[in-house]
Amino acid sequence: MSGVGAAVAPAGRTPARGRDRLSRRVGRTPPAVIGGVLVGCVVLVAIAAPVLAGYDPAAQIATPLLRPSGGFLGGTDQLGRDEMSRIIFGARVSLYVGVLAVAVALALGGTTGVLAGFYGGWIDNVTMRVMDILFSLPALVLAIAITAVLGPSLTNVMLAIGIVYAPTFARIARGPTLAVVRLPYVEAARAIGASTPAILLRHILPNVSAPLLVQTTVSLSTAILTEAALSFLGLGTQPPTPSWGLMLSDARQYMLIDPWVAVLPGVAIAVTVLGFNLLGDGLRDVLDPRIRTM
Amino acid sequence: MRYLIRRALWTIAALLGVSVVIFLLVRLLPGTIVDILAGGEGQLSPVQQAAVRHQFGLDRPLPVQYLFWLGSMLRGDLGWSFRSGQPVAPLLISRLPITIELAVLSIVGVSLVGIPLGILASVSRSTRVKTAVQIIGLLGLSVPNFWIAILLIITASYLFHWLPALIYVPPWAGPWVNLQQMFLPVLSLALGLVAVVVRMTRSSMLEVLGQEYVTVAQAKGVPAWGVLLRHALRNALIPIVTVLGLQMGYLLGGVVITEQIFGLPGLGWTLLNGVYQRDYPVVQGTVMFFAATFVVVNLAVDLTYTSLDPRIRYE
Repeated sequence: MSGVGAAVAPAGRTPARGRDRLSRRVGRTPPAVIGGVLVGCVVLVAIAAPVLAGYDPAAQIATPLLRPSGGFLGGTDQLGRDEMSRIIFGARVSLYVGVLAVAVALALGGTTGVLAGFYGGWIDNVTMRVMDILFSLPALVLAIAITAVLGPSLTNVMLAIGIVYAPTFARIARGPTLAVVRLPYVEAARAIGASTPAILLRHILPNVSAPLLVQTTVSLSTAILTEAALSFLGLGTQPPTPSWGLMLSDARQYMLIDPWVAVLPGVAIAVTVLGFNLLGDGLRDVLDPRIRTM
Repeated sequence: MRYLIRRALWTIAALLGVSVVIFLLVRLLPGTIVDILAGGEGQLSPVQQAAVRHQFGLDRPLPVQYLFWLGSMLRGDLGWSFRSGQPVAPLLISRLPITIELAVLSIVGVSLVGIPLGILASVSRSTRVKTAVQIIGLLGLSVPNFWIAILLIITASYLFHWLPALIYVPPWAGPWVNLQQMFLPVLSLALGLVAVVVRMTRSSMLEVLGQEYVTVAQAKGVPAWGVLLRHALRNALIPIVTVLGLQMGYLLGGVVITEQIFGLPGLGWTLLNGVYQRDYPVVQGTVMFFAATFVVVNLAVDLTYTSLDPRIRYE
C-alpha cells in the first residue's frame, strides 16, 4: 500500500509524516488520552480477568442479591454469583464481539463504498442498492432477525452486527469519494498517467480514511452496545456466559428489590463505550488539520 | 424528474429485495410452527403434522410460498397470526400509532435541542464550555438507552412510587395520561440521540468553518450569525441530515427495546413477541413495515442532498 503511494508522489509527503506524528499528537489531546486509558483499562481487565476476578463468574457462592460489601465488591446477583467477577469476565465478551464485528463491517463496507463512489455508473447503482437492501432495515431490527435465525450465540451476534453495520461504512466511504472523484486534482493525476489503484490509494483514500477511522471507533462502541442490546433481549450471549447486556436483562426483574444489580453492568457498558467514543473524537481532531486549527 | 422516477423504481426494487431477505430469514428460523402449536416435538402424529403444515401452506415449495405472500401483501393482506389467528395487517395498523408517537416525539425533541446545542458548541471560544458539551455529549452517546430506561424506572419508583403503566392509554382517550406514559420512554430514547446530533452538528460545523469561503465571508464583513447560518450551517447540514436519517434506524431499533421495557404495545413489542413465539406472519409483516418506513426516510434524505448542495447532481 505504501509502496504504491511512494511511487506516485515524492517521499516525505503528509501521510508518512502524519503517521509518525500521530501518536504524539494524540498524546496531546486530552479526550483521546482519557479514551485511550479507558479502552486500555478494559483491554487489561479482559486479558487479566482470571487473575483479577475473585470468584468463578458462573459459581453460585453466596446468598442471592447481597448488597455490595467488602466480601463482594459488587454484591451478588439473583443466583448468588459474584457480580464484580461477572463484570470483569464480561469485558472479554464485549471486546471480542465488538472488534470482530467491526472488522467484518469495515472490510465489507469500506471497500464497497470507495469502489462504488469511484467507478460511479451502474457499479455504483448496483452495489449501493445491495447495500440499501441491508440498509433498509433498522440496524437492531436486522440484527434481531439475523440472530433469531442463526440462533443466539457469540459468533452469530458478531456476524449479525458486522453485516448490519457494513452499509454504514459503505455510505461513509462513498460520500467523500463521490465529492473528490471529479475534482481537478484527480483528473490531473489521471492525466499524468497514475494507475487506478494509485489514484484510489493516494488521492481518494486520504479523503476517506479519516471519516472511516472515526466511524470504526464509533462502530466499536455501537457494536458493543448492540451486543448488549441483543443479549438484553435474550437473543445474544446465552447464560451462563457473563455478558453485561444479559446481566441487565436479569436485573430488570430484581431492580426494584435490589437496584444495585442494575447499576454495575450499565456502568461497565457506558465506560467501555465512552472510551471508544473519546478515542474516536480525539482521533478526529488530530486527523483533520482544519479542525485542529480551530 | 427522470431521476426521481428512477429513484422511486429503485426504492421499490430495494423493498422487493428486503422482502426476499425477510422471507428467507424467517423461513430459516429454527423450530417450526408445528412444534410450537403442538407444545413441543413429537406431540403430534406425522399425519397430524402434515395436516397442520398444509393448513398454513408450509408444505408448498419456497418460491410458491414467497410469491403467494408477496401477492397477498400487495393486496394489503399480511396473513394471519399463527398464534392468535388475527389478521396481521389490522393488528400492525392498530399498533402503529404508539410507535409513531414515540418516534416523532423523540426526533422532534432531539432536533430542537440537538442542532442548536451543536451549533453553540462549534462557536463557543471557551474551551471549558466546549469540553463540557463534548464530554456530556459523548457520555449520552455511550449510555445504552435500555439502561437509561431501567434507571429512570428505578428512580421514578423510589421517588414518586411510579411504575410503568400496565395498560396503554391512547392520546385520544386521555391526552394527559398518555403524555405521562410517554414521557419516560421518550426521554430514554431522546437522551442518547441528542448527544449524537450535538456531536455531529459540532464536528460538521467545525469542518465547514475551516473552509476558505468562510474566511472570505468573515473578511468581507458578514456578521457572525450570518456566516454561521447562511454559509456554514447550510453546508454542514448534509452530514447532519445524513446522521438524522441514520438515527431513524437507531430510533426504530431503540423503539423495540423501549416498548418492551415500558410495556407499550407498539410495533417493536409486536416484533419481539413474534420472534419469541416464532409467529412467522407477524415477524414478516412487522419487519416489512419497519423496512418500508426506513426506505422512505432514506429516499427523503437522498433527495434533500440536491436541495442542500447544488454541487451534488444525480445523473
